[in-house]
Amino acid sequence: MTERRVTFTREQIAAYAEAGGDHNPIHLDDEFARSVGLPGVIAHGLLQMGILGTVAADAAGGPGHLTRLFVRFAGMVLPGDTVTFTATPDGDGKLGLSAINQKGETVLTKATADYLP
Amino acid sequence: MAAIAGKTYPAVQMEIDPDRVAEFARAIGADPAEGVPPTYAAVYSLGVTAPQLFGDEEAAIDFARLLHAEQEFEWSRHPRVGETVTSTGRVASDTSRRGMRFVSFESETTDASGDPVCRSRALFIIRT
Repeated sequence: MTERRVTFTREQIAAYAEAGGDHNPIHLDDEFARSVGLPGVIAHGLLQMGILGTVAADAAGGPGHLTRLFVRFAGMVLPGDTVTFTATPDGDGKLGLSAINQKGETVLTKATADYLP
Repeated sequence: MAAIAGKTYPAVQMEIDPDRVAEFARAIGADPAEGVPPTYAAVYSLGVTAPQLFGDEEAAIDFARLLHAEQEFEWSRHPRVGETVTSTGRVASDTSRRGMRFVSFESETTDASGDPVCRSRALFIIRT
């Protein structure tokens, strides 16, 4: 099993907004995020998926081996949350993936990947 | 609101820019020396096409009520830094039930020879 534990920060979320090109203020502006019913800024689902993708790539033998990645965005990730991302080969070129926060809640469900060994 | 299943948007080109790839790699904790991270498809495939859907008056997507529910990327190969890829977005399905609208948005990315690079499938849920 390949594992990576990440504590999310505002700086990392802002860096992803810039590099990923998603400047939705729910990721950058606490006041705006609260105005739409969120507890404050939240991490991009695609940032979570990107981190999971690095773990999947490591388990697959390198990023070039990855042929498919699927996630369902199931839970919010806030600055200060710690998420443990894992990838476990299921055999036949498939990876079982998980992303679980410090409270034991799964934030990315049904996560799977395929790879060419 | 009119369902727009089958609607296809004009193709969009993007150069896989080395500086932006490195910035993206650092943001997700990947090693920039390992080349283009697979999920950079969020930029070159989904990222260039989704704004066409969100900005389409006919699609009438209420961005403030939009949730990105699922995402899949499927790669034929991973692009190289410096190459130019072309992506075409299409609404694969558009259905409404119980006060929610489900829009499945697919983007096909090809290389300069027209060969497949990546297919992105996003599921957006909009509270109506």
